[in-house]
Amino acid sequence: MRQKLFNALIGILIALLLGAILLLLQGYDPLATYESLFRYSLFGYYPFATTLRNAVPLVLPGLSAAIAFASGVVNLGQPGQLVMGALFATVGGLYLDLPPGLMIPVLALLAMLGGMLWAGIAALLRRLFDMSEFIVTLMLNMIADYFTAWAITAPFKDPAAFSPMTPQINPNGWLPKWGEFNTMILFMLAAVILAWFIFNRWKAGYEWRITGQNVLFARLGGCNINRNFVAVMLVTGALAGLAGGLVVMGGPHRFIRGLGANYAWDGVMIAIVANNGLIATFLYGLFFSAIQTGALGMELITNVPNEISQVLQALLVLVIVASREYLNTAVEQLAARRRAREART
Amino acid sequence: MKILIGLINGMISGATPILLAALGGAYTYYAGVFNIAMEGMLLTGAFFAVLGSYYTGSWLIGVLLAVAGALLLSLIFILFAVVLKTDEFVTGIALNLFAVGATTYMLRKIFSVKGVFSNPAIQPIPSIRLPLIENIPLVGEILSGQNLMVWVAVVATLLTYYLIFQTRFGLRLRAAGYNPARLDSSGVPSNRMRALSLLSCGVLCGLGGAFLSLGYVNLFAENMSAGRGWISLAAIILVNGNPLGIALISLLFGFSDGLGLLLQGYRVPAQFTAMVPYVATLIALYFYAARKRRLKSA
Repeated sequence: MRQKLFNALIGILIALLLGAILLLLQGYDPLATYESLFRYSLFGYYPFATTLRNAVPLVLPGLSAAIAFASGVVNLGQPGQLVMGALFATVGGLYLDLPPGLMIPVLALLAMLGGMLWAGIAALLRRLFDMSEFIVTLMLNMIADYFTAWAITAPFKDPAAFSPMTPQINPNGWLPKWGEFNTMILFMLAAVILAWFIFNRWKAGYEWRITGQNVLFARLGGCNINRNFVAVMLVTGALAGLAGGLVVMGGPHRFIRGLGANYAWDGVMIAIVANNGLIATFLYGLFFSAIQTGALGMELITNVPNEISQVLQALLVLVIVASREYLNTAVEQLAARRRAREART
Repeated sequence: MKILIGLINGMISGATPILLAALGGAYTYYAGVFNIAMEGMLLTGAFFAVLGSYYTGSWLIGVLLAVAGALLLSLIFILFAVVLKTDEFVTGIALNLFAVGATTYMLRKIFSVKGVFSNPAIQPIPSIRLPLIENIPLVGEILSGQNLMVWVAVVATLLTYYLIFQTRFGLRLRAAGYNPARLDSSGVPSNRMRALSLLSCGVLCGLGGAFLSLGYVNLFAENMSAGRGWISLAAIILVNGNPLGIALISLLFGFSDGLGLLLQGYRVPAQFTAMVPYVATLIALYFYAARKRRLKSA
C-alpha cells in the first residue's frame, strides 16, 4: 500500500515537472500556472464544490472501466453508454411528470437503463455471434454519437432553439443544490461505495475478479463465465449511463450538443492510471477533475490556454503508469539481486 | 452512370486514409505490438499537414511535416511501450487523448481558433490527371483525377506486402511478433524490430492524416480523424494483417462512406448515413467471427 502511494506520488511529481518544462518552453511561468491551477480547483468553498461536481462524469465511467477491465471484459463503450444514458434521462424528463422525490430516482434509473441497453447490445453480439466486445463497443460509441445527434436535431429538438438541443426537462427532475454542492455528488459517492462493496465483498464481485485474473481457474471453480460476462457488461453500462443522466439532471437540464465531451475517455484513462482499483479510481477522478476545473481559472489569470490541461492529463497518465511499472520491476530486480547475493554467501 | 462513378470515387477517397493507417498498423500487428495509436497519429498528421501547408504554401512540406508529427507520436510510443515497458494498450489510449489535446491546444495557440481552421492559403495535395487514359469512358473517369495520395496508398499497399513477406526485414518483423525470444537469441533485438514497426506506422499514418486535411477536405477540424484509426484497427484484425486484405476491407469501408453520401440524396438524415461505415464494421466483424467459429469446429 505504501509502495503504491509512493509510486503514484513519484509519477505525479515527474509528470508535473515535465509539464513545467513544457510551459517554460512556451514562455509561461510554470509556478504561477500551477498555483492558479490548484487555487481555482481545490482551495476555497466554490472551487472545491465545482471540482467535486465535475468529478462525477469522470468517476462514474472510470468505475465502469475499472470494474470491466478487472473482470477481463474489454468494455470501451463508456462514451456511447454515457450519451445514451443522458438521452434516456432527457426523454424521460421531457414526458414524465412526477413529484421530485419520485422523478429523480426514476430519471436516474432510466439513465442506467439507457447505458445498460447500449452495453447489452455489445454483450448480446458477443454471446450470440462471438463478436469481440472490444471493437463492437468502439463502433457503438460512434453510432450512439450520431444517434443522439439525430435525436436532438429531429424528434426532440427544442423548437425555440437555433442549434440542436432538447427543451429543458421537467424541473421536478432537476437535482437540488445545497449552496454550491450539487446533489449529483451524493449519487457519485453512493455509486463508489456500492460498487466497492459489490466488487470486493459480494460473491458476484469475487467471481468477476477471479474471472479477470484467470478464466480457467474461475471456470473450474464453478463460475458461470458467460453469465458473469453479461452481468459485468450490464453493470458497467449502467454506471456509464448514470453519469450521462446526472450530467443532464445536474447541469444544463437538457441534452445539448457535445454533452458527452471527453468525459468517458477521461474516465477510461483514470481507471487505467488507477490500475483498476475502485478507490484509486475515485481519488484520481478527483485529481483529474481538479486539473480540468482549475484550468479555466488558470486561463483567466495566466493567459495559458485551458486546453493545456488535456496535454497535462495525457502526460500524467503516461508517466504515472510508466513509473509504476518501471519502479515495480526495479524493486523486483533489487529483491532478486539481494536473494542472489544471499544464496552465494 | 454518374451515380456509379460518384460512388466509386467516394469509395476510393473514403478508403485512402483508412488504408494508409491500417497498413501502418499491419507492421505493428506483425511485430506483435498491440498498437491502437493510429487514431492519434492520423489526427496529428492532419494537423501538421495543415500547419506546414498554410505557412509555407507548399503541400509537400505539409505532407513532410505531417509525417514528422506522426513520427513524434511513434517515438513517444517507443519510449513508453518498448523502452519503459509500459502497457501498450495504456500507451495507445493515452497517446490518442494526447493527440486530441495537443492538436486542440495548438489550434488555439497557433491559429487562434476553436473548432475548425480553414483558409484559402492552405495548399491541397494535387490531383493527378492521366492525359491519355482520361479519355476512356468509365475507367478513365475513375483512374484520372484521383488525389496523389490515393496512388501513394496503392504503392504503399504493394510495398508493404513485399516488405513483410519477401524481405529479410519482413521475416525479422514477423519473427518479433511470433517468437521474440527466439529472435533475440539469434542476434536480432526484437525491441529494435518493434521500434521499426512503430516508425513505419508513424510514416504511413502521417500520410493518411495529410490526406484527411489536404486531400479529403482542405481544413483542420478538432478530432477530425473521427474514429478512422479505430476502423483501421478493425480492418487489420478482420484480415489478420494481410496488406492485400486490408486494401479490400478499406475499400469496403470507403464504399459504405460513399453509400452514406448517396443515401443523403434520398432524404435519409445525415446522422444515419454517417453511421453506415461503423455499422459496416460490425457486419464485417460478424462474418469474421462466424468464419473463425467454423474453422474452430472443423
